Amino acid sequence: MVLLVDAITALQEFLDTGGQVLLVIAVVTFAMWLLILERFMYFFGKYRGYKKHTVETWQSRAERNSWNAEQIRQAMISKAGIALNSNLPFINVMVALCPLLGLLGTVTGMIEVFNVMAITGSGSARSMAAGVSKATIPTMAGMVAALSGVFASTYLQRKAKREVELLEDKLLLDH
Amino acid sequence: MALSASAFANEAMDLDALLKTLESGQAAQTQQNKQREAEFKSREDQQVRMLNALVSDRNNQLNRSERMETQFEENEIKLGNLSDTLSKRMGSLKELFGVLQQASGDASSKFRTSVVSAEIQNRSDVMDEMAKKMGSTSKLASIEDIEKVWFELQREMTEQGKVTRYNTDVIVAGGEKMNKEVMRVGAFNLIADGKYLTFNPETNTISELTRQPVSRFQQSAADLQGANSGNVDFALDPTGGSILGLLVQAPNRKEQVEQGGVVGYVILAVGALALLIALERFVSLMLIGAKIKRQLKSDVAKDDNPLGRVMKVKDQYPDVAYDTLELKLSEAILREMPKITRNLTLIKIISVVAPLLGLLGTVTGMINTFQAITLFGTGDPKLMAGGISTALVTTVLGLVVAIPTVFLYTVLNTRSRNLLLILQEQSAGIIAERSEKGA
Repeated sequence: MVLLVDAITALQEFLDTGGQVLLVIAVVTFAMWLLILERFMYFFGKYRGYKKHTVETWQSRAERNSWNAEQIRQAMISKAGIALNSNLPFINVMVALCPLLGLLGTVTGMIEVFNVMAITGSGSARSMAAGVSKATIPTMAGMVAALSGVFASTYLQRKAKREVELLEDKLLLDH
Repeated sequence: MALSASAFANEAMDLDALLKTLESGQAAQTQQNKQREAEFKSREDQQVRMLNALVSDRNNQLNRSERMETQFEENEIKLGNLSDTLSKRMGSLKELFGVLQQASGDASSKFRTSVVSAEIQNRSDVMDEMAKKMGSTSKLASIEDIEKVWFELQREMTEQGKVTRYNTDVIVAGGEKMNKEVMRVGAFNLIADGKYLTFNPETNTISELTRQPVSRFQQSAADLQGANSGNVDFALDPTGGSILGLLVQAPNRKEQVEQGGVVGYVILAVGALALLIALERFVSLMLIGAKIKRQLKSDVAKDDNPLGRVMKVKDQYPDVAYDTLELKLSEAILREMPKITRNLTLIKIISVVAPLLGLLGTVTGMINTFQAITLFGTGDPKLMAGGISTALVTTVLGLVVAIPTVFLYTVLNTRSRNLLLILQEQSAGIIAERSEKGA
């Protein structure tokens, strides 16, 4: 319990020193990981049943040679592709947004530093410290958040592409 | 000829008369000069007598000055003796008066800026008088005077720990005076109606701060004023108003945006454009998507949606070969494409251009800063820092526009691509399925 309280206080201090942008980065990262988790669950859960069902429907067709059959096969693969690729662009864009948000935090922090200088008219490091920490912490947070998502998103993209190819191989036309 | 000769004769006669008058005149002048000489001689004696009188007068004055000087010296010695006696008699009291002078001087400057003076007036004048009195050697402080200093110091201390209410004139934001119930929190803050006030010691007036702190602090002021008893949280300015005074100088959101200048407004305009386009696209893609979904469920091809229009191609050419049908289908899909992907590129361009514009604003701002440095030198960090924070504002604006635009573009692009995929690959499949069912 004490550990939990300590952790919450530390987090709160971190958010206070980093400014409001950190909160936005945190929300974006959280949403990103929710989407990644959802994708993983889909790939290793629901999609398996869907794939089996598709292959069975294809195999149970009377003929698999005509123009109609080929079009239907294409439609099946495309449907699977849509299902596999949904949400992936969002994950990608969130990975791209995290460093941008970090940059935003940096610039607002810099503005704060210069505002302090403009008002006090001095380069006192102590009065500028709050702005400097607001300038550096969001950059770091944005980088870390983006890095955490990069691996997952690359893996998911490759996995989706491979699954579509595998499905194509399973749905064979008779010659 | 005759006329001119008579004129000459006339003239010659006049010259003779002139000569005669000159002769008689000279005679008269010599007589006058003799008379004057006699006069001067008689006056000379008078002058000598006056000179003698003046010389004796000067001698008298010199004697007097000498006498005065000696008296002055004597007086000086007497005065020295007397002040020696005074300091001897005063003894340790002299130190006390020194301390009193210092204390009252310090108190005077402190009282002048203290917000307590807004309620209890003229305290610093009393202290000033006291300090002056102590400073001069000719006056001594009476017991009453000393007790007054003590009283005023004690009163300041006591008032510091008090929260009081009283009615007074307050200059509100509009500039007019209004009688209000003012609350004084110790020697730190003045509040009225949930707003922080500032005390101007030079004009002895209380005015509302033109820029108030954030609403959470104003709320605490309102809470304090509304409270009758018990403990209330209150945001105190321990510096007695200097931090609140700095608040006026710090720019608020609107002013910061204004600092961005022309480039800032361009970025905002571009961002608003992107937002409007995105909104329009979002609505129309949603409508198209809903119609396509309805079409997927029904067997009858309708004219009001892209998928229906593509499916109709099959009905229009019931007897053509499959490869021809495929060509016709892709032609129909190509016709639908612009309606679905319209304006999306523009949003993409804006998302790229906005940070670039921000960079442009930053660089122009920096150029202005450096020009200011060229003109005024680097002596004033305020000047430089102001320019730099202005320059950075455009970067912020660029990012603020770009981040949501990138996000919106992704959302819209995914939607439109999904719709196109349905058209491209599924329409053929749907047609094939239905033709099989019909067969």
